[in-house]
Amino acid sequence: MKILTTVKKVVDVELNIHVESGAIVEDGLQYVINAWDENAVEAAVVLKENNGAETTLVSLGGGDMTDIIRKCYAMGIDNGIHVDDPALEKADSSVYAKVLQKVYETGEYDLIITGKQAQDTDSGQTGIMLAEYLSIPCVSNVIEIQVVDDGNIKVSRLGDAGTEIVEVALPAVVTVSDSINEPRLPAMRGIMMAKKKKIETTDLAGLGTSYDEVGGNALKSEVVEFMKSETRQAGQKFEGDAAELAVKVVDLLANEAKVL
Amino acid sequence: MAKILVVADIKQGVLKGSTAELLSKAKALGAETAVVAIGSNIESLVPELVSAGSDTQYIADDAGLELFSAGPFATCVVEAANQFDADLVWFGFSESGKAAAPRVAARMDIACATEIIDVNLDNGIEITRPAIANKVLQKVKVNTDKLVAVVRAGAFEADESVSGSENVVKLPAPEADLKAVIKELLSDASGEIDLADADIVVSIGRGAKDQAGVDLVKGLASDLGAGFGSSRAMVDGGFMAHNKQVGQTGKIVAPTLYMAFGISGAIQHLAGMNGSKVILAVNKDPEAPIFNVADYGIVGDLFEVVPVLREEIKKVRG
Repeated sequence: MKILTTVKKVVDVELNIHVESGAIVEDGLQYVINAWDENAVEAAVVLKENNGAETTLVSLGGGDMTDIIRKCYAMGIDNGIHVDDPALEKADSSVYAKVLQKVYETGEYDLIITGKQAQDTDSGQTGIMLAEYLSIPCVSNVIEIQVVDDGNIKVSRLGDAGTEIVEVALPAVVTVSDSINEPRLPAMRGIMMAKKKKIETTDLAGLGTSYDEVGGNALKSEVVEFMKSETRQAGQKFEGDAAELAVKVVDLLANEAKVL
Repeated sequence: MAKILVVADIKQGVLKGSTAELLSKAKALGAETAVVAIGSNIESLVPELVSAGSDTQYIADDAGLELFSAGPFATCVVEAANQFDADLVWFGFSESGKAAAPRVAARMDIACATEIIDVNLDNGIEITRPAIANKVLQKVKVNTDKLVAVVRAGAFEADESVSGSENVVKLPAPEADLKAVIKELLSDASGEIDLADADIVVSIGRGAKDQAGVDLVKGLASDLGAGFGSSRAMVDGGFMAHNKQVGQTGKIVAPTLYMAFGISGAIQHLAGMNGSKVILAVNKDPEAPIFNVADYGIVGDLFEVVPVLREEIKKVRG
């Protein structure tokens, strides 16, 4: 089985984000691997360990991806492709999906695993759109993947009415929830080995396409302004005897906030 | 006049509140409204769909639609959107909506936006949505004539005075997706209050420690008729089901009152509940980040606080 995972480099959401004049202040930001993509990488490596598979990751966008790709190598990914094209900086989900379509078509993969969304945009569209463009099945928000045979997998999806057990014919796209696994911490040996591995770098021309062809010159939507989120203010905080505080807080909830 | 198609949010045969919220917003924007309802044995929902504010009801009612399958679901939405010539297609905040919206957008070759909290139609289509775990808002300009969007939980309010008119259009049953076949649905425990609908949500975190802690706080939740949610820690610990997880990646809730017990307040959890009207937090650690967003905070052990809180609440609510 050939598995393709996608890995996005995103702003670290644990740090403070400042907005000035409609834009995010770049100073002080740090970039990390998207947490859900780390779950996707772990899922691919587990399938490789249990069922045998060749695992490839692809990362899109300009800039240095060496650190995140090496991290995934250390976790057990076999091959890494960086589609290094500065034109992708403003891309929307549809453009990303069309670039991934080109990557898929060069590799004849059986299974594509992506994170269910990226931490920077929280959009959750790319994997699903990719499947539509490829006319292959897709199951999103997956918490378990089992291999049935060479041509089929069985996945568990968290749906509205409960956990859906879905049998999927390959090739297919699966987008994973963080509930699927706990990504491993790479061992030192893996980290050392990862440093020696090659990263294949290409660009849109190398994939036989252009920014225009993937819809980059006709973006379906674009962010025109960033604003500060309305932040909540810390309210009243009480310490002391539990019984007294319970009386006080219930009174406030009932008579001040009027929500009881 | 803009035309807005709302995808009815139906769960186990029941029409969810988001449908009326989205239709109310559509009416407030001066739009012509339609709803598309997809499922099995759902024709009885028509009167509710009308009173929720729809002027046309597209109904895809077929035994094959009983269990959710994103492909056929999207087919029905696209069919309704084309027949109605919708400018905007809105999904409520549900897993079905999140799975179907990008498919609809790809098939119609139009823009898609998820988790929108506002929309402006004065000059083309412009939407507002949170990003980066709710830390910023972004204004997004839509460059296509039409937009598919998933509306974030709690973004719009239902207006009781809104109503629609009955004009039922039946849709053909879509082809089943033979490449992704749902074999089984492990149903969520029935009789439990849906987190998305609950007026009050009571959630637990690591501070609840074990099953005894879970049961204790669950008692308070049932006293209040509240939804019972969880932070990721208690899900990973095996104490709470996946579908109870409140947060950026789980359920996003915006109840009137959110009560957090033993939850420290990781950024991912806050992103799922900081739209709540009033937040009460109980935590042993006075420095827990949850207190930065809580309207009322009690620094203390939930095992001591919850029993007395239950007593007091019973007195107040009678």
